[in-house]
Amino acid sequence: MSSITVDHSRPSAPSERDIEQLLRPLAPQVLGVLVRRYSRFDLCEDAVQEALLAAALQWPGEGVPGNPRGWLIAVASRRLIDDIRAEHARRRREDADAAAAMDGALAPAASDEPPTDYDDTLTLLFLCCHPALTAASQIALTLRAVGGLTTAQIASAFLVPEATMAQRISRAKQTIKASGIGFQMPPEDGREQRLAVVLHVLYLIFNEGYTASSGPEVQRTALAGEAIRITRMLHRLLPSDGEVTGLLSLMLLTHARRRARSSADGSLIPLADQDRRLWDRGAIDEGVGLIEYALANARLGQYQLQAAIAALHAEALSTEDTDWRQISALYELLERITSNPVITLNRAVAVAMVNGAQAGLEVLGQVERDGRLEASHRVDAVRGHLLDLAGDRDGAVAAYERAARRTMSLAEQRYLQSRAVAARTDSAGV
Amino acid sequence: MKYMLLLYDNPDTREAFFGPESEALMGEVEAVLEELRQSGELLSTAPLADPVNTKTVRARDGVPVITDGPLAETKEHFGGYLMVDCETIDRAVEIAARWPSSRFAPLEVRPLMDVGGSEE
Repeated sequence: MSSITVDHSRPSAPSERDIEQLLRPLAPQVLGVLVRRYSRFDLCEDAVQEALLAAALQWPGEGVPGNPRGWLIAVASRRLIDDIRAEHARRRREDADAAAAMDGALAPAASDEPPTDYDDTLTLLFLCCHPALTAASQIALTLRAVGGLTTAQIASAFLVPEATMAQRISRAKQTIKASGIGFQMPPEDGREQRLAVVLHVLYLIFNEGYTASSGPEVQRTALAGEAIRITRMLHRLLPSDGEVTGLLSLMLLTHARRRARSSADGSLIPLADQDRRLWDRGAIDEGVGLIEYALANARLGQYQLQAAIAALHAEALSTEDTDWRQISALYELLERITSNPVITLNRAVAVAMVNGAQAGLEVLGQVERDGRLEASHRVDAVRGHLLDLAGDRDGAVAAYERAARRTMSLAEQRYLQSRAVAARTDSAGV
Repeated sequence: MKYMLLLYDNPDTREAFFGPESEALMGEVEAVLEELRQSGELLSTAPLADPVNTKTVRARDGVPVITDGPLAETKEHFGGYLMVDCETIDRAVEIAARWPSSRFAPLEVRPLMDVGGSEE
């Protein structure tokens, strides 16, 4: 009857933040559809970015369209076709013999329609974390293509000029194009190693955000939340993979401490001195649930072990109440599968809590003989801690001071310097 | 990891960079810079004016005291910088070694401090 209907369901003026939250999970889905339809990952990725930008500009004023995903696909496709036309026109001008036809360039890719959006997101993650790319490029491309962040946001999070970040992204896309890496799942037999790279990239993004100080580095801090969001997405795609579950759990359990880990002036508060009432219980419960499930059902791996250690800390009421014996056993297992001297260093601390400072110092000796951490401040930081426990204040002061000079982190330097001052005061007071 | 490459100047670098080899040396500089731009490693770079243009500033009892000229009269002085973001310090050292002034005066490669840190 009447063709005029009033749309009561339309929300009044959505905020920019609402729109960003709506857009970001759609980014990889829309990109997946485009790449399947038209191949040319490099051009599709630019087109999706432009469509996201258009949405961010138009939707706050005009309202969110009824089918946001369809809107984005339509706008991105239009941009893509314009871009391809422009590219062809340029090529024709440059070389009259270039006979690549529009139709050919826009022919559907081999696998036409996606089985599901979820599969596309997974394929995209594998593509962005392709081993042919440098770590810096993997991180940048993952945040843009899968996370839906703009180049400016990523640049600001990593404290680099936008031009530098833009170049990393475009170089990554060139590498993908030049090496003929297709938009498909990696073959079954190499998938585990490829997944390990994806997890490592997500771990690096999380760490970048987690170690940022709050305050002036807001964009960088947000990376931790973004890493959790993407890892959660990955966990929904691969719910039975123990390492994906382990990494998500590890991130949640670590992130749960964010409000307790630094004081108002930005100085770091070590685990032992944190006000545990500030820990995020919701995140801890979720993290503990995830790791318990993974440990009972999946094949063991490094992220699960790290999450299991984080869970033991999260559940303890205090340092004294912590199950250091089990933590030390878990570190031993980790050492067996990773051979990373940082793990041995952590075990030295746990062993000291179980069997005394001297036993911890003996484990520390292994790290020194290994030699790989020779240039790192971490060995001296742990030595300072263990000597402090052992009552050797002068030794502790010297070790803390060496560590303070070596570290490249301002927050850690302040902390180590304060420990040196405390140990010296103790030493003078005796 | 971000690194500052501190470029030092001395009479030899000035002679070389303003002499007949100037064009070739600047070509080398531009080639390194272009590579760093392409790789997404270059953050920023700038040359500094000659030390004769320096003002040295101190506060004495809350009053600024300004003197003309550098802090110390030395043969070698800080002449410019490159800020790069690369995977390892070895890569930063490699860039420094290819910077043509390294044949006449040294460069220092110094890591930048990160404001944040881990509490563990």
